[in-house]
Amino acid sequence: MIRAAALLLVLLLARVTSAEEWSPPRLAFGDPDLQGTWTNATITPLERPDEIEALVVPPEEGHRIEKLVADLYAAVDDVPAGKLEAGEDVGGYNTFWMDPGKRLAVVRGEIRTSIITDPPDGELPYSLRGRAQLVKRFWRLRKADDPETRLLGERCLVGFGSSGGPPMLPVLYNNNYQIVQSPGFVTILVEMNHNARIIRLGAQHRQGPIRPWLGDSVGRFEGQTLVVETTHFHPAQSFRVSLTHAVYMSTDAKVVERFTRLSAKEILYEFSVEDLENYRQIWKGEMPLLAAEGRIFEYACHEGNYSLTNILAGERAKD
Amino acid sequence: MRRTLFALLAVTALSAAARAPAESAWVAPRGPGGKPDVNGTWQVMNRANDGLETHAARAARALRDGPHGPVPAKEVLALGAVGAVPAGLGVVVGDGIPYQAWARKKQTENQAHWLSRDPEVKCYLPGIPRATYLPYPFQILYNEDALFFAYEYAGAVRNIHLTDPGPAPIDSWMGQSVGKWEGDTLVIETTGQHDQSWLDRAGNFHSEALRVVERLTPTSPLTMRYEATLEDAKVYTRPWTIRMTLYRLVGDDAQLQQFNCVEFVEELIYGHLRKQPLDRIESSE
Repeated sequence: MIRAAALLLVLLLARVTSAEEWSPPRLAFGDPDLQGTWTNATITPLERPDEIEALVVPPEEGHRIEKLVADLYAAVDDVPAGKLEAGEDVGGYNTFWMDPGKRLAVVRGEIRTSIITDPPDGELPYSLRGRAQLVKRFWRLRKADDPETRLLGERCLVGFGSSGGPPMLPVLYNNNYQIVQSPGFVTILVEMNHNARIIRLGAQHRQGPIRPWLGDSVGRFEGQTLVVETTHFHPAQSFRVSLTHAVYMSTDAKVVERFTRLSAKEILYEFSVEDLENYRQIWKGEMPLLAAEGRIFEYACHEGNYSLTNILAGERAKD
Repeated sequence: MRRTLFALLAVTALSAAARAPAESAWVAPRGPGGKPDVNGTWQVMNRANDGLETHAARAARALRDGPHGPVPAKEVLALGAVGAVPAGLGVVVGDGIPYQAWARKKQTENQAHWLSRDPEVKCYLPGIPRATYLPYPFQILYNEDALFFAYEYAGAVRNIHLTDPGPAPIDSWMGQSVGKWEGDTLVIETTGQHDQSWLDRAGNFHSEALRVVERLTPTSPLTMRYEATLEDAKVYTRPWTIRMTLYRLVGDDAQLQQFNCVEFVEELIYGHLRKQPLDRIESSE
């Protein structure tokens, strides 16, 4: 027993010591080095599922949830034999095409059940107006009368949901980001849809009629932490829906992101969203960006977009 | 008269002499890793995207026969002077593109069917080298560990490997690029492009065997010489080179905007699938 306690103490001390000793590298021009290819793939959803109360769960419970989700995904491939009758649901991708991650997010050593940390219940704190906007946009989606009413991801204008953000949230696949820095800039390449977020350091927000995709981002370093403030969003990007989240944000919402490199293989990603038009309070979240294996390949969505053609043509056939 | 002419010649000779050493003596300011600082926003000021080869001005990019020569095709007629093509001096070094005979024929056909065939019309990714001389700026982000090009057109991007990862595992629109410095010249080799991209609006094309070697050399604080050699044994008889100047955008101009043109071609590509399609002029092609 004593030996076990001593071992635990040694392990803990080793962990504290290594965290203190590890000094984030700096680039030759002085900025902390955040460069590399990172992934935010995780099965921890933005909002906490109703059946889970706590933000943090012990390892056994974490493993149980991870197995549950793995079984759910495995069931996607479990297609019954035989022919489908005309008019039946043909399904979508099998799991070969999905890459949502297998693990729950671990932040500061805690296994998390939602990306949202505030409000404490882990739910998006929609105001009545915000909820109504979200429902209105979902209602429009039930039809495919025109390409403009479809999701941005289906139209290949930006990635699904809030993949490019900000806040940058994990979706069903392509949850990869490449960070490249140069004097005065931090650029985040969002794999889906090859969107480069060019963050201007020490700059002022732009005003006027140009509202960029992924918003207008300016940043600064506070010690080791990159702080990015984004607003002035493109109006079409208010409705961000994927299978993992449904966010509605006004064009003047303000998103603050904090990137802190904790080790060679991890960046802590924290964010807050201020949009009192659509939410009762500022909401916050955190998750790790982990070093990704491999490299980012071209996400040429529009060039091969037979999906939107088929969505519209299918609807016309139904008409 | 003779004296005036002599004086003029002398002045010209002197100014040329003064220019020559100035250009060769100019040393680019050092950037990350002690290499020339190519960070910044750049753009060409030429007509290369309208045609790499020398071309006279013409009435439109899509033409049809008129009673006295070509006139704008009906699909582009309403654009008037806005749709006309300005003359271009050409950027090909030497005597034009050395196409194999079949390939020159195909290029001519491509040009005749420009409207339905040019990937730029549909906002497809531009490929290399066309991304460079599209009439939109691009930003170079560079340090000793990374090199990245972000293009305004279609939000195209290019991550340029500084360590060769080996052959491209799959062909793509923008290909796989590997960069290195040779003295003060940034040399980028691009392979792994498929055959879907074009080189300009004049139907010039390549196959998936294309290998492009670009050479970017700073020539003044605000200019770079850009050369690209294209090697494609399936289409050309020998490697050939284009050469042009890149200009650094300064002040307020040095801001990369977004030209996410996918949105702007939805009516073109999907308009016929609307519940209530709008009137449209059907293409004659």
